[in-house]
Amino acid sequence: MASVTISNVRKAYGQVNVLHGVSIDIADGEFVILVGPSGCGKSTLLRMVAGLEEITAGQVRIGARVVNNLPAKERDIAMVFQNYALYPHMTVRKNMEFGLKLRGAKRPEIDAKVSRASSILGLDPLLERLPRELSGGQRQRVAMGRAIVRDPQVFLFDEPLSNLDAKLRVHMRTEIKALHQRLGSTIVYVTHDQVEAMTMADKIVVMHDGIIEQQGRPLDLYDRPANLFVAQFIGSPSMNIVHGAFATDGTAAVTTPAGLRIPVPAVPPGRAGQAVSLGIRPEHIRLAPGGIPAKVVVIEPTGAETQVTMDVQGAEMVAVLHARLDARPGDIVHIAADPHLLHLFEAEGGGRIDLPIRELAA
Amino acid sequence: MTHDLKRLAWKAFDRVGTTICVVLVVSPALFFFLWMLSLSLKYEIDNGAYPPVFIPDRIAWQNYVGVFASNNFLLYFWNSVVVTGAATLLALVVGVPAGYGIARMKAERSAIVIMIARMTPGLSFLIPMFLIFQWLGLLGTLVPQVIIHLVVTVPIVIWIMIGYFETTPIELEEAAMIDGAGRWQTFLRVTLPIAKPGIVVSMILSVIFSWNNFIFGVVLAGRETRTLPVAVYNMLSFEQVSWGPLAAAALVVTLPVLVLTVLAQRQIVAGLTAGAVKGG
Repeated sequence: MASVTISNVRKAYGQVNVLHGVSIDIADGEFVILVGPSGCGKSTLLRMVAGLEEITAGQVRIGARVVNNLPAKERDIAMVFQNYALYPHMTVRKNMEFGLKLRGAKRPEIDAKVSRASSILGLDPLLERLPRELSGGQRQRVAMGRAIVRDPQVFLFDEPLSNLDAKLRVHMRTEIKALHQRLGSTIVYVTHDQVEAMTMADKIVVMHDGIIEQQGRPLDLYDRPANLFVAQFIGSPSMNIVHGAFATDGTAAVTTPAGLRIPVPAVPPGRAGQAVSLGIRPEHIRLAPGGIPAKVVVIEPTGAETQVTMDVQGAEMVAVLHARLDARPGDIVHIAADPHLLHLFEAEGGGRIDLPIRELAA
Repeated sequence: MTHDLKRLAWKAFDRVGTTICVVLVVSPALFFFLWMLSLSLKYEIDNGAYPPVFIPDRIAWQNYVGVFASNNFLLYFWNSVVVTGAATLLALVVGVPAGYGIARMKAERSAIVIMIARMTPGLSFLIPMFLIFQWLGLLGTLVPQVIIHLVVTVPIVIWIMIGYFETTPIELEEAAMIDGAGRWQTFLRVTLPIAKPGIVVSMILSVIFSWNNFIFGVVLAGRETRTLPVAVYNMLSFEQVSWGPLAAAALVVTLPVLVLTVLAQRQIVAGLTAGAVKGG
């Protein structure tokens, strides 16, 4: 196992810049997930670590070695591809042996490693089958087996679950996480699914348009998103955003042009009247007699919770309520949110506005 | 009830229409073969009869016996095997890696140059090649024919293989490289085995085109180095128009290719449309 250090890495295809200087430190044994919308450069970055794309500028280190100019086969990594990339003319066993054979491993060693990996992944009954005789989930597991037998320094996963159906995806998510806990290996994992990122990662790196928007522990990103993009990307349903301005009448509130007035813990000094974006997580909205009136648009009960889409004086908001709601579309309910759980962002640029600590504590 | 009847009528019409179309398209091609078969089994007197006789009273097997007994037929057969075999083998050795390179490097211009070489009339290569082979003193051997058949076989192999390699997912090669394979190992152990159906198809088509080639042989072959199509043509000139033996010889020449086509038709169609449907 080894750490991976990505320092100020850039990627350009001709005149087009895809990555604009990205730096990530991945500790030995850490499970890091690169997440972002399609086209944000996350897969390109992973392929650069793998040695499948050239590094235009910057440095990638695996352990102590700088690998910029090493071919993929000398980087001692293993990769699981989105479409599995199993060799169609080889059986499951041969697929798993391939990498070991190329590295000149001896027969007893090959057999031991393959049988260990196949028992970890439950592949024993499938060893003599061809990839086309396997289901999606089984193929996925073989692809992981092929990576495990190699005992590489780093595992790379490129959207490995996106070809699976929803139920299997949840199951494999658990399996991959368990595998990581069992092997203690360094994993770099790419996905566009923020739920995958939240549930599996030790560290999430949110990317957008070739830059890193924020990196950190999943709950840190959730609780303190660094900007509007991360705030809306992490969390499902995503954060409600209301555009308005700090109140000018000396009270601690944000007002909108439509006349909505939302209390906040404080107005930062000298910013009264300035434009601001206010974020509220759906689960932080609660029913409160005497709160802000909101018209119910859609109610989606899931049993455990109720998701309500509401029209709050022209602004659409989604609330997730743990209580069951006895209302119909068109009804008026009253809502409120704890001011300390609100998020404030600059109207220009979307950066987070941190309120002074004592204000928060108050 | 009327609805059902209507549907039935439509179905019948559909079937009859299809049958008529198939017969119209196929029958000319089939007719040539059947007529050739008939000619090859008739004595000269029946072949010249008017009105024409399609199924004769007496079968002239001797036409076939004659083909094998005379005219150095076995020598010419062997020449054809050597020329076609060597031209196909060389085309595979050159064309498969070339197709791979063109597909992976997206070298469309090279592909078009090869296509142009294929479309240029063979005759335009012949005169310079003839002079070169004469100068090299190779004219009495099969070498000139093998080399000039490459003009036909190499482009076929390259173009079919381009289609095949383009549909091979690049991730398989990337996976192999990460597994520790170099470029050649990746090609030999992953890409090539996957492309096996494509190689088979390009081989079959290359054999067919090379076997049937006539014009190169007419110019470049001597008395001892004739291939079968040329040999059949020569029968025409020496024995005047003795249709029976001529048709028998022509059928015997066509037979290997015919059998090959029938056996491999499914693969040939698949090979010709490879690359047409991405990811299909």
